[in-house]
Order: sequence, then C-alpha cells, then structure tokens
Amino acid sequence: MSSLYERLGGEKAVNAAVELFYRRVLADGRIARFFEDVDMEDQIAKQKSFLTMAFGGPNKYTGKDMRNAHRRLVEKGLNDSHVDAVIDNLNTTLRQLGVPETEVKEVAALANSVRDDVLGR
Amino acid sequence: MSLLTYMDRPVPIAPGETVLEALLRAGIEAKSSCRAGTCQTCMHRAVSGTPPEASQRGLTEAQKAMGFFLPCVCKPETPLAIAPRDDAGARREAVVRSLERLSHDIIRLRIEADDFDYRPGQFLELIADDDLKRHYSLASHPEDDPYLEMHIRLHENGRMSRRLTERLAPGHRLHVAGPSGTCFYEGVDPDQPLVLIGAGTGLAPLYGVLRDALKRGHRGPIRLYHGARDPRGLYLRDELEALAGSRENLTYRPCALDADAHLRGDVAAVALESETGLEHSAFFLCGGENLVKRLKRDLFMRGASLRAIRADAFTPGA
Ligand code: FES
Repeated sequence: MSSLYERLGGEKAVNAAVELFYRRVLADGRIARFFEDVDMEDQIAKQKSFLTMAFGGPNKYTGKDMRNAHRRLVEKGLNDSHVDAVIDNLNTTLRQLGVPETEVKEVAALANSVRDDVLGR
Repeated sequence: MSLLTYMDRPVPIAPGETVLEALLRAGIEAKSSCRAGTCQTCMHRAVSGTPPEASQRGLTEAQKAMGFFLPCVCKPETPLAIAPRDDAGARREAVVRSLERLSHDIIRLRIEADDFDYRPGQFLELIADDDLKRHYSLASHPEDDPYLEMHIRLHENGRMSRRLTERLAPGHRLHVAGPSGTCFYEGVDPDQPLVLIGAGTGLAPLYGVLRDALKRGHRGPIRLYHGARDPRGLYLRDELEALAGSRENLTYRPCALDADAHLRGDVAAVALESETGLEHSAFFLCGGENLVKRLKRDLFMRGASLRAIRADAFTPGA
C-alpha cells in the first residue's frame, strides 16, 4: 500500500494546505498569540515542515529538534489545550480540502505523536 | 577549484554528502532543523555556481534568482561558493555623483560603483565609515541609469544624516556592499495585478520595481499607493502623476495623514479598502516595520498568498 504522504498527494498537498492552515491558526484566538511577533515567511516554512511531518512525508526531526524549536513557546505557556487547537485547525483544513476521514485521522495521530516533545515532557 | 567553498574557504565534501553535512563536519556553524528541505532553517546563498534544482525546491522565484538554496538537500556536482543567507558580500568603492533635495527632509543620493549588479528594488549597505553604515533601497534601474539612486530621509541629529548634509559632496568616496533583498520584479506574472504599497522613502524600491515592470511590459493593472505623514512627504508626486497619466494600466494613489480632502488617508487603510481579489495579485510592500507587518498580515488574512507578497521593512536609522 502507498504511504500516507503519497495518498495525500505529497508536496502538492502540503502546498495546497499550508496557507489555509496558517490562516486558520492566525485567526484562532486560542493560539494566535504564540504566532505574533514572528516573521511570517519563517513561520510558513515551519508550518510547511510541520505539515510534511504530519502527512508522513520526508523529515529527519528528532525529539530534541522539537523540544528546541518549541522551548520558547512552552515558556510562554504552551500546553495541551494549544496542541489540541492546532490539531483541530489541521483537521478542519484537511476536511475543507476534501481529504477522507481515514486520512484525516492518520494525520492527526502523527501530529499527536510529537506532542510530548513539543511540550518538552 | 574545490567543489564547495564557504566564504572563500574550501570545504571538503565527500561524494553523496550534503552541503549541510560538509559544513558541520568542517566545524562551521550552520543552523538546521528538518534536514529534509522543508523548514528552510538552513538556507544559504550561492555566490557563484548554480545550486542543484532539488536544493531550491519550495523557494520563491526571487529567492531562486538570488541563488538561495537549502544545504540540507544540496549535493553539488559542480563547484559552488556559498555564504550565509544575510551576508552582504564584499564591499566596494563608490563615488558620490549628486545629492539633491526631494522634499524638506528627503534627499536623493546618487553614487557610482563599478560592477555593482543588482535588481531594481533591492537594497545595499552604504558605508560612510566603519561604524557608520545604513541600508538603503535602490530606486535606479541598472539598464537605464549609470548610477545607484537612494532616497534618504534626514533625521535631526542622525549621524548619517549629518554626514550626508554637512560633509558629503560630489566626488567624495565611500563604500557599498550588497545588494540584498528579494523585493524585485522576478516571478511576477505580466498579466496579474501588481500592487505596490509604500510609505515615506519606501517609495524608492517601489519606484525601482515600477520602472522595471513597465520596462518588461507588464500588462496587468499596476496600482501604486504612496503614503506620507504630510503632503510634503509625497515626493516625486508630479512625476508619478505624469507617468500614471501616460500609462493606461497604471494608477497612482498618493495619501497623507495630515492632508485635506482628496489626499487624506492612511496608506494601508486606503490600499486594503481599494484592493479586491487579493488571491490573484502580486504585492510589494515597503515602509516602516509596523506598517509592513500589519499590511502583510492583513493582506494574507484576506486571501493574498504569502508567496505573492514581497516586503522590505526598514527600521528608522539615525
Ligand atoms: S534544515 Fe530544514 S530545510 Fe534544511
């Protein structure tokens, strides 16, 4: 069977989703504050690699990378409820793009798998 | 010549090894994160040689044109000389050609530098002394103008301002480094709407981009919004009005905060109000940091693609 990343449409799918997803995140009052004061280009590149990872695409992230990347946010109060909100937005974005429910769940599970690293636990 | 050179220093690279691996092995500090070509954390710039296509995937056309690439997925086959992404490059000598007032507090500085390759809208570093350097955008066009033109706001008690007004005269020498920045016409579709929004001397790069767009036969509508605090800051207004009058696809909208009737307006608000169908347009934003940040976000939230927004923000330099 082809990989999740291939089923979703690979890099094209990431490109189609990334701006929709980022727009949702910025408009979401629960988490928007974590994304203020960051350069939008840098941020969208990060969102893109997050989606690539969550879609099961190529990445060589280690738990340590995840911890380092989110340390500042954890200091600012990042917790489980915020990770939930991000995954919510991810699900909504995928549904908006017509991704079938099975794949939406797989993506959510992958995103969820880095939760502890992201939150530095 | 070695296959990989970093800031004039040869770096050994094994077959099949990525540039990132080679840099790290040579003890060069290079940031990275995903190491798979998506997060862009590791971005560097090729100063000579052509990076393999795969190492430029996902970058904007302007970034590609500038030689930016991603070392974590770059396995060079031909010699590549690289530099960190914000390295300004070697400095070279320049000669002052003219200094003129464009308004009560803006001057036009024209200098000549040999072999200074740039694209209209990019910026350079002007070096008056080792401890007196500022970034200025270029309003000139390399094919039409034998000089580099900058528009500079004078700040009371600013060191560069004082240098420019009190000591610098035609014939004097200084240094420049660069160019930098991706605020140039490359990657714009000639049929799409081109929207240029700037405040104060942010007009300089937009003016460069505008001239380049016209020169390259941009067919879509071009809308230039220029804002200033008071109408005196709307420099080059006569010239731009005349240009807009002679070009069917160009509109020019000057606005000033302290003006009456038809000129009054906040440039960001005016542009946001007038622009529709944002997902089809290419944007160039230039001005103070707050303005640029706010505009970029508002345009994006209203449907503009971030890839279609080029921005240059300046921090007020004294
Ligand atoms: S480390 Fe992510 S693109 Fe190179």
